[in-house]
Amino acid sequence: MNAIHASNRIGTLWQQRMDALRDYEVIRDGNVFGTSFSNRFVYSSEHERAHQHLARLTEQYDGVAFETLFSGKEVSNEGGVSRALVSRHSLSLTHVDVERYRQDILTDLTLVRGIGDVTLRRLNARGYVTIADLVAHPKFRAEARGVLECLSRGDPAEIMGMIGSRHAKSHPFVLGTAGFFEPEDFVFLDIETLGLFSRPIILFGVGTIENRELVVHQYLLRDIDEEPAALIATLGHFARDRPALVTFNGKSFDYPYLQDRLTYYGMDTARRIPHFDVLHFSRRRWKDEFPSHCLGALEREILGINRKDDIPGQMVPEFYETYLRTGNCGPLVPIVEHNRQDVVSLAFLFYHLLGESYGCR
Amino acid sequence: MAVADVVRLLGVNPVYRKRVVHIETIEPEPPRYGTLAAPLPETIEAYLKESGIRLYTHQCDAINGIRDGRNVIITTPTASGKTLAFNIPVFEAMETDPEARALYLYPTKALANDQFATLEQMAKFTGIAAKPAIYDGDTPQSKRAAIREHARIVISNPYELHQVLSWHAKWSPFFSHLRYVVIDEAHRYRGVFGSHIALLIRRLLRLCRYYGSNPQFILSTATLKNPEEFALRLVGRQFDVIDGDGSPHGRKHFVLYNPFFNGIGERSTHEETKDLLISCVKGDLQTICFVGSRKMAELVTVWAREDARRSSALLADSISAYRAGYLPEERRMIERELKEGVIKGVVATNALELGIDIGSLDAVIISGYPGTMQSTRQQAGRAGRKGGDSLAVLVAHANPLDQYFMHHPARFFSRSHEHAVLDTENPYIVSGHMLCAAAELPLKEEVDREVFGSTFSPLLLDLASSNLIRNTSRGWVYSGRSRATDAVRLDGMSGESFRILCHGKLLETMDRAQAYREAHKGAIMLHQGETYVVNEMDLETHTVRVTKTDVDYYTQPLKEVNLAVKKTLEHRTVNGMACSYGDVEVTEQYTGYKIKRKDTVIGIEPLSLPPLVFRTKAFWFILPQPVEQRVRDACLDLAGGLHGAEHAIIAMMPLHVMCDRRDIGGLASPAYGENTEPTIFVYDGYEGGIGLAESAYEHLPELFSSAYELVDACSCEEGCPACIHSPKCGNDNVPLDKLATVMILKGLCKTENKGESIGSAVYPDTEISVHPAY
Repeated sequence: MNAIHASNRIGTLWQQRMDALRDYEVIRDGNVFGTSFSNRFVYSSEHERAHQHLARLTEQYDGVAFETLFSGKEVSNEGGVSRALVSRHSLSLTHVDVERYRQDILTDLTLVRGIGDVTLRRLNARGYVTIADLVAHPKFRAEARGVLECLSRGDPAEIMGMIGSRHAKSHPFVLGTAGFFEPEDFVFLDIETLGLFSRPIILFGVGTIENRELVVHQYLLRDIDEEPAALIATLGHFARDRPALVTFNGKSFDYPYLQDRLTYYGMDTARRIPHFDVLHFSRRRWKDEFPSHCLGALEREILGINRKDDIPGQMVPEFYETYLRTGNCGPLVPIVEHNRQDVVSLAFLFYHLLGESYGCR
Repeated sequence: MAVADVVRLLGVNPVYRKRVVHIETIEPEPPRYGTLAAPLPETIEAYLKESGIRLYTHQCDAINGIRDGRNVIITTPTASGKTLAFNIPVFEAMETDPEARALYLYPTKALANDQFATLEQMAKFTGIAAKPAIYDGDTPQSKRAAIREHARIVISNPYELHQVLSWHAKWSPFFSHLRYVVIDEAHRYRGVFGSHIALLIRRLLRLCRYYGSNPQFILSTATLKNPEEFALRLVGRQFDVIDGDGSPHGRKHFVLYNPFFNGIGERSTHEETKDLLISCVKGDLQTICFVGSRKMAELVTVWAREDARRSSALLADSISAYRAGYLPEERRMIERELKEGVIKGVVATNALELGIDIGSLDAVIISGYPGTMQSTRQQAGRAGRKGGDSLAVLVAHANPLDQYFMHHPARFFSRSHEHAVLDTENPYIVSGHMLCAAAELPLKEEVDREVFGSTFSPLLLDLASSNLIRNTSRGWVYSGRSRATDAVRLDGMSGESFRILCHGKLLETMDRAQAYREAHKGAIMLHQGETYVVNEMDLETHTVRVTKTDVDYYTQPLKEVNLAVKKTLEHRTVNGMACSYGDVEVTEQYTGYKIKRKDTVIGIEPLSLPPLVFRTKAFWFILPQPVEQRVRDACLDLAGGLHGAEHAIIAMMPLHVMCDRRDIGGLASPAYGENTEPTIFVYDGYEGGIGLAESAYEHLPELFSSAYELVDACSCEEGCPACIHSPKCGNDNVPLDKLATVMILKGLCKTENKGESIGSAVYPDTEISVHPAY
């Protein structure tokens, strides 16, 4: 069969097709009803502003070289090279009062399998107040001992699993296991991507604590082919003995996305590590106080941060694509800024929540 | 009364006698049993024994082939036990290899459900841990992980698979141990849809290779003319064809019945259908009647019941409709009552020819040729149980193909099966699946060139230049902004869809071509029996706003078609006439619409819509000079003759190539191009072409003869829907000249000399819908 000669017509056709299939919807300002159709939406004024912003940026940074604009360092590994931008931020670390936390846990008899609310009341009436008391109980003896041993082993992942199996994953007890980690164990992660799944991650934002400071490493792709190197560099931050991942909505987005990209390139997927998803703790904590629990809203309400010149996260792909197409680095500026602020706010929020529940001054 | 009595009635009753054009009697066939090369495991042997099954020859051939590790395509008729033929070896593998997995693909959910029930029952009886499960759009999120993890036979459909492949990491245990891929009803995957499925299978195989498995394929289809070639194109591998049917058949009477025997048609086809149904049911024959639409299924049922009520209420209650849209429980009840004999007559839509679990009946009435011989045989195959006599009746509609068969019964019964056409090289379809594949695993030129064929390398560069993929040291990585699988639609509709909204509520979606045709501003639109008027069409946001209305007029779009030959790929001479095949660019422009009440035009409104341009494949030919001269000498209308010939040729296309006449477009011009020659073009109505014009080009002499026979045998005087009228001609079937058409078509069938000619106007035939092929 004779094939039609391929022409750039086909690429253009697909390009148009893709443009028509946006991952988000633009909704008339104030149309709250419209927002219920999808959780991926941008208000039209926001959309309009972002486009004006984009035009300004491409004009402002026309001809400016990537390296001039982003003075980071080159990182090379078996995946190739990528560029890391590093910034430092002061942060007041909260120390968890581990003793208080233990006490709280020990008085929660429902952590013992088989004890629900009804049984709990009966046991309390009979004088069983702590899990330690239950060691003498004929029926719950074995289970109670198991819980105590788990606590005394002090393996946070195990304790997290034990609590998670009896309570919601957003329970403050789960958050409290953070007290078993050193500050240096935490890896705060936020990624920027070209879309919702099966497309490249174009910016990896990783926050770690070094010398009581928050250090943010951002691996920004100059082109898509730097993704493997950036992936490997990001995984490098999990090299400590018992790292813990901290994200905002990472359980449904960042973490599986990262896994997906690793499989895509045929790399070993990250081992299972304890994961604190701050979104879940926030929702539980501020359930009735704020209508929105997105990171932007929380940082405004709780941390008093107001972003300037921020772009809606949904529009990051458009901005990055403009960079890829034109080579003009301007559109990358707000992406990098947006991501850095996300990582910083994430760390702040995490310590804020931790301080509220188990902090010691 | 028995089948023979009803057949006698058809020959004696004065109303029926005139309409019965032909009765073909097919003699009974005893069963032929086969032997297996090696015995089956005891569990399966016991299952067969318990079910009272002895394997027929074709079942044994299939099982032997599959056990030998060969890919097989089974093409025996309906109800010959194809399912068992592949379930046996799959179950055997499940027992011997505890890791083995199988994927079953079904085109409809109803079929998937039936197969699931069969597999569960078989697993239960044999105790083999096949763990069948359905994984499709209806599978709840909460069950998905467990199915991916534990199910060993996963039953799904192509649409779901298209999505699943992007999540291959989650399916890695399944893909790693995939032993069999069963594709049932595979003949459905032809044309544009088939081309998409072929590439979907290429993507599946590419992932299997990555996970280290190499599954064997089992295809089950209705009878095709080219099963081996079809399987090779669909899967890209060599297949053994299993076609020798060993199952028994009783005597079958096949009746051709023409309500339009006198060229008029005193009563509607549906009334005639209803009468036949009543006669069969009164004759105590359990009967299924296939009609074209849901609405007709309901109407024929209502009429039949009314009619039957005159003789007995019991009889009236024994007639029921059966169509899509019924709840599964309702359908199961009808099926049960049929088996118990409570229901005597069912009226079903064609679309359900496959999905009905009713076994076999005494009689089948097919209202209107279902489009392919393969469907006809599948429907007729419903009649005939346990080797008893059976009856099948084809009730002709007024359209050309139906009437052609009524006038040429011998052609009908000697008809071979259709060619199933699909094209794995269509660059529009290939490029879409390359994007999907690049999002699944990076594309590697050396390896993936073999997967995607000769267009792969040039397409790579094309996609890269549009920034849809980027070259990296690990291969080409997908970098498009939207999900590739969302942009690529398997049903051939473009990902670009227009949403039809009524007060903010989504009624339906359409592709661009359909929206231009049916939902332009001012159009009167039908949706599920309700009438709507289009208030606004927003091209920017792809939104059409409509409101409900109640008017007594309708609208019909006016379209101009232009066609430019881009590249002539082949030339041949047929009956002394120059014929060509190649690439063309078709430009369609909707210029306005007519407002009509009945057949009267009460207004014409202009439209300004951008033109639709698409590239496709066409064949074309120039009318020989002597033929043209003869038409002019007879003072006939050359333009009307060419237009009529084009309609007749398109009407006969489905006779030679497996397609619907709506898949094809045409253009007739008495003065085309620089040389102003009388030319007829016939093209595929899909971006890139799908092999229809190409296949027809190989059969031009037969195509011309059948078109001539059609028009010549039609008893009308000036052309009618049975010959040269086209149901959706954009020119309102003007101009048409039947005598000139006959003269031209006769000329195409004879050897003549070619000469020069002159002329002036272009008459597009706009009956097709254009679906860009991505």
